[in-house]
Amino acid sequence: MNDDFVLEVKDLKKYYPIKAGMFGRVVGQVRAVDGISFRIRRGTTMGLVGESGCGKTTVGKTVLRLNDKTAGEVLFKGKELFDLNRTELRRIRPQLQIIFQDPYSSLSPRMPVGEIIGEAVREHKLVPDAEFDDYITKIMRACGLQPYHKDRYPHEFSGGQRQRICIARALALNPDFIVCDEPVSALDVSIQAQIINLLEDLQSEFGLTYLFISHDLSVVEHISDTVGVMYLGDMVEYGNKKDIFAKPMHPYTQALFSAIPMPDPTIKMNRIILEGSIPSPANPPSGCKFHTRCRECMEICKTVQPQKYEAGNDHYVVCHLYGK
Amino acid sequence: METKNKKSFGTQKLDDERRVRVLSPGMLVFKRFVRNKLAITGLAILIVMFAFAFLGGLVSPYTQSQVFKHDEEIMKEYATCMLSTDFRYTVREGAEFPDAARATAVLAISKGDASFTYGDKTYSLVKEGDEFYTFGDALMIAKTRTLAGKFSVDALPETGFVASPEFVAAAEAAVASRSAQFEADGTFYTLINEGKSSSIYHVEPIALASKLVVDPYNESQTSLTTSFAFRYAAELASVRGEKEFELDGTRYVVTGEENDMVVSTMDGEPICSISDILVSPNANDIFLTAEFKAVIRETIRAKETKFVYVDETGENVDYRIDRVNTTYTVRTLKESRVITMFDFPSPQHLLGTDSNGMDVLTRLMYGGRISLMVGFVVVFLETLIGIVLGGISGYFGGWVDTAIMRFVDLFNCIPFYPIVMIIGTVMDKMEIDPIKRIFILMAVLGILGWTSIARVVRGQILSLREQDFMVATEATGIRVSRRIFKHLVPNVMPLLIVQATMSLGGIIITEATLSFLGLGVKYPLASWGSIINAATNVHVMTNYWFIWIPAGLLIVLTVLGFNFVGDGLRDAFDPKMKR
Repeated sequence: MNDDFVLEVKDLKKYYPIKAGMFGRVVGQVRAVDGISFRIRRGTTMGLVGESGCGKTTVGKTVLRLNDKTAGEVLFKGKELFDLNRTELRRIRPQLQIIFQDPYSSLSPRMPVGEIIGEAVREHKLVPDAEFDDYITKIMRACGLQPYHKDRYPHEFSGGQRQRICIARALALNPDFIVCDEPVSALDVSIQAQIINLLEDLQSEFGLTYLFISHDLSVVEHISDTVGVMYLGDMVEYGNKKDIFAKPMHPYTQALFSAIPMPDPTIKMNRIILEGSIPSPANPPSGCKFHTRCRECMEICKTVQPQKYEAGNDHYVVCHLYGK
Repeated sequence: METKNKKSFGTQKLDDERRVRVLSPGMLVFKRFVRNKLAITGLAILIVMFAFAFLGGLVSPYTQSQVFKHDEEIMKEYATCMLSTDFRYTVREGAEFPDAARATAVLAISKGDASFTYGDKTYSLVKEGDEFYTFGDALMIAKTRTLAGKFSVDALPETGFVASPEFVAAAEAAVASRSAQFEADGTFYTLINEGKSSSIYHVEPIALASKLVVDPYNESQTSLTTSFAFRYAAELASVRGEKEFELDGTRYVVTGEENDMVVSTMDGEPICSISDILVSPNANDIFLTAEFKAVIRETIRAKETKFVYVDETGENVDYRIDRVNTTYTVRTLKESRVITMFDFPSPQHLLGTDSNGMDVLTRLMYGGRISLMVGFVVVFLETLIGIVLGGISGYFGGWVDTAIMRFVDLFNCIPFYPIVMIIGTVMDKMEIDPIKRIFILMAVLGILGWTSIARVVRGQILSLREQDFMVATEATGIRVSRRIFKHLVPNVMPLLIVQATMSLGGIIITEATLSFLGLGVKYPLASWGSIINAATNVHVMTNYWFIWIPAGLLIVLTVLGFNFVGDGLRDAFDPKMKR
């Protein structure tokens, strides 16, 4: 097992049962995550992109064991996260953190900011009591917050400041790995840049590893080292940022990337318009799940599930167009 | 904290934000609450109410079930007087003058007959004076015989008659002259000739009829004054205008005018009065003295309506005489202990007294204790059950949630008032002690009322559980107890406090309603509702405002107070509110 990889996910599946009737009989399953694999090297950022409802957030929560998994493995530093008992899990919690999309609901409204940030620090006794205040101050400053904010309540802060508080809360635990679940999508563009830069600064300062979930491709392009593209619970393409952005292979990735707005009005946008909407994950299409909307759809796509095609340099794509 | 911050960030400039004083969360809530005028008004009302109810009972000199009585002079009928218009009969001891014969006698009197017959007997009727008649029965007292020219008189020994020589001579003369009557010793005798012998009858009065009333001065003389001989002698003397008469060797003196005479012994000891006004006491146990009667008569004759009489203890007693036709009623002011009912507000009873003679203000104080206590205990009970069941339901979810919520639905199906009424009736039937009754009432109200709080708590926890900050507590590995008590409870608490404060007012209303209907707090314990119950009587409602208006006012004020405070707390707890 390579210690370079902080997180390894192998064939992870997360199904939500659909219950119906009086006795809650399971009549079907929502395949939110349907067998995905990836791994993240220490100190790097993996971007996870895909349209709404494709299972990005579920992946993010499942790899932190905030959800149960249905199948597969989640190896954190080589250890299966789901094998830990309650005490071990609690002990390892500080190393795995999450930053939420909504900075408004992710802070307890009846707790002062200092308490929010320091609560878990004290809980896990990460720093001696004597240094506690200084430690919190240090973290807050690192996240661009003023120390006098400690006694204020979340509602007194702007969205950007709140997101900083969330980051500070995660950072205070001195984590190795942070899931950033669309941390900037609720913020306006100037604040987005601040937060992204903050995350990058913190990464270089503390050697953090991120799983950066977003549907904003330009943000992902900016921050990521590797990128995974998800469609309906599957990872359809994975590779280094440069490879993927330079040469998207999967038709879905191509369509997605064609939607990136160019800050140059002279360039003619060549957008690929996808027909229809994302199918229900409870009843995914047979064969390749994307075949209903794929403009390169072949007969085989409708019946046979495509296999991974390794394009080299850790870049793979799951599509029938390749490999034959 | 402040100084430390200053030390470590002393280099930093004081910008605008730093000048804002940072308050602790509790202080912030307090500050926001204090700034709410309505809430402060409500709080003031409640403080006054609590002081009134809980300290008032200590300050009040009375207890809640103390019945007040007072001495009141009430007019009592004492005696009835009538002008004597009917004949009163006195019958000689041993003689018979049946009641039925009296009617015939009255008829004969009005006709002016000298005799009348009743049954097979003939009675003589002698008018002795104005409205004084004697009824006589002929008694054979002697027989005469003329044997060989020799006249002899044999007195009948059973009559006790002794023939005097004068009597014999007169009888002989009468027989010789064949007259039917003769006189001897001033007495008339009737002679009935039967040939050689004849019978001599003497008409003895056996009964008398008079309209005069004889009242003895002393109860011990009743036997004397009611005796025929005395009556006859006395009335005869009065009719004849004699000032003296003799009876059984005793001489009596008659003084006074006609219709108002006093018979006394020679020593001057009064025996009885004779009058035409009948005075009789209204109660059997009262003996009216002749002096008292004389005073009444005097007053009636003088046509006055008031008089003063000195009673045995030497006190002046006022009497009043009311006339209805020929009947005079003597009334006196009698002192008696009376329950002070519906006493209007006075310095002793600031809000008067109620129908039981209890101090209304004091009962309001004690009633407030019960009303407030019931409110608090019920809300505490409701909230406790609500938090536990709602909390379990919300936090654990799944089938536990379903089970508890169906249970809540079941409870909500129970019709509140019918159940409480049935329980009230059952308690009435079982004659449960009033204090125990209050506890049962509180338990019932609590058990029937927890569902809404359980729902609120469940809903709140359910929504909080899904919030990102709860996920964050899990992600940061915070232990469950801290998650519940530091993150869930503080977020549920404000809602709960508001809910509890609001429902306090509701419970007080419910308790008042039940007590008003007579199902809640029972006499002798008071509650505001049971005090208002007095207003169900139209007479009380319209005439004695001081009994029910204050209780109603107290209920309104208290409920208003709780609602104001509840509103104020809700706003104060909401950190999103502007400071």
